[in-house]
Amino acid sequence: MRPWVAAILYAVLGAITFVVCFPLLWAISTSLKPKDEIFRWPPTLIPENVTFESYRQLLFGSGVASAPGAGTPPSDFFLQWFANSVIVSVGSTAISITVATLAAYSLTRFRFWGQRAVPYVAILGYMVPSVIFVFPMFLTMVALDLTDTLLSLILGYVCITLPFCLWLMWAFFRGVPIEIEEAALVDGASRLQVFRQIVLPVAMPGIIAASIFSLIVSWNDYLFGRVFMNSMENLPLTVGVMHFFDGTHVDWGLMMASSVLMTLPMAILFGFMQRHLVAGFGAGAVKG
Amino acid sequence: MRLSFDRYNPLRPDEQPFVGFDNYVFVLQDPLFWESFWQALVWTGWSTVLQALIGVGMALLLHQPLRGMNAFRGLLLFPYIVPTVVIALNWRWLFNAEIGIINHLLLSAGIIDDRIAWLSTPNMAMGSAILLNVWKYTPFVVIVVLARLQTIPTELYDAAKVDGAGALRRFRDITLPQLAEVLAVVIVFRTIWTFNKFEEIYLLTRGGPGTSTYNLALYAFDQSIANLRMGVGAAAGVIMLLLLLAGSVLYIRVSGFGREDKSA
Repeated sequence: MRPWVAAILYAVLGAITFVVCFPLLWAISTSLKPKDEIFRWPPTLIPENVTFESYRQLLFGSGVASAPGAGTPPSDFFLQWFANSVIVSVGSTAISITVATLAAYSLTRFRFWGQRAVPYVAILGYMVPSVIFVFPMFLTMVALDLTDTLLSLILGYVCITLPFCLWLMWAFFRGVPIEIEEAALVDGASRLQVFRQIVLPVAMPGIIAASIFSLIVSWNDYLFGRVFMNSMENLPLTVGVMHFFDGTHVDWGLMMASSVLMTLPMAILFGFMQRHLVAGFGAGAVKG
Repeated sequence: MRLSFDRYNPLRPDEQPFVGFDNYVFVLQDPLFWESFWQALVWTGWSTVLQALIGVGMALLLHQPLRGMNAFRGLLLFPYIVPTVVIALNWRWLFNAEIGIINHLLLSAGIIDDRIAWLSTPNMAMGSAILLNVWKYTPFVVIVVLARLQTIPTELYDAAKVDGAGALRRFRDITLPQLAEVLAVVIVFRTIWTFNKFEEIYLLTRGGPGTSTYNLALYAFDQSIANLRMGVGAAAGVIMLLLLLAGSVLYIRVSGFGREDKSA
């Protein structure tokens, strides 16, 4: 490629990358500004006085909570919400992956009635937008007396992620040759030994890809948390943060700081797992 | 658990009186339903077309053999994993009418003379929502198209070059036909999912100003939650499901045609 062509391409790429990343850069910039600078016109692109006040307020509380009758400001729940989100996404991912791996393994290694239909039904169910089944599920949760518990959210997210994880693992196991396992079985290994020592290591890339998707979906979801949960201390992060809008005055610094903190876990995960992620994209459709 | 929604969906919990098709009649006669429907078409159409165009363009660019391309790829795919809530918050801040950076940039560049109330005028609100959707989901198109681009044999291009075909010609006669199938699939997928999108619009505008950014998902949600007419919401849900089914049939036919083309 001629150098000037390459230079133009780099320039175009750089410009696009800047535009794409701009909302996030702007969020970081805003989150580091003191309150008066946030509202200054014209806005400053790079904060003149860098302050971590917004982050401090989110992570260590606002300090006004003790005022009698004032009620706890939403920002004081931030760590609690963060923990809720972690529990819920890790929990639902663990369930989804375990069930999906075992199910996909049996779907590809044993014969039973309806075997061929299962993955296709799963992927069809996965196409259904969640806004359609969130209310029937809510009624189910009411019947089970599970509303406003983290367990209800875990179950809800399992319902979204399991079909896709099953599909992905199924596609994955289909590509793994069965001969090694048969050889091990002939040599006297039990089914469980075969599964643990041969199948699981081979399946790792698939499991990793499925886990990442499951984590992203449950971490980013808003709808289920909104419908299932009531009390402030039980909210997942996504729903909780929207409560920052409740007051008459919107603290954009706080808002942007929480955006940054909310994106951070996923960004780190994404950074480490990018290769697997692309592999997963290739294996099947991704909901969005 | 999954099956329960099938049973529940048609006409709501067991104790409630059976009302036949009343909910459906109500939905189909509700002007707001039809307003939501048309707005959903606008929202889906623009979003999908823009995503496809920008997505293909970016994929072509990212396909170029340049050093450091992996870093660009990573950065450009990043929006896909950003939580919708975060994007909605950022959007509200960027497009803030009084002190938002977008207005500032447009003003100082002399493109506009007056601040635009992005999120509180109907057309602008829809535009902002579409822009958000495009920003978040174009990476999906890019990933899929990029994967397909990498499987196009380079011999085709070499042969065309020898035959004296220019870059444009090569794009039209080799790249586009090769991409056609995967592109059709991606567009159908995006159309189906965008049509029923809920969180993006709800978090950005709550369907407002007024009802100018409602789509069917918001309609169903509002009927169920705000108006507590679960039956009506469910009926709207079933209608969405039927539309989705129609979309899926279309998808199967499109991908089926694709397969025939390949074998021919």
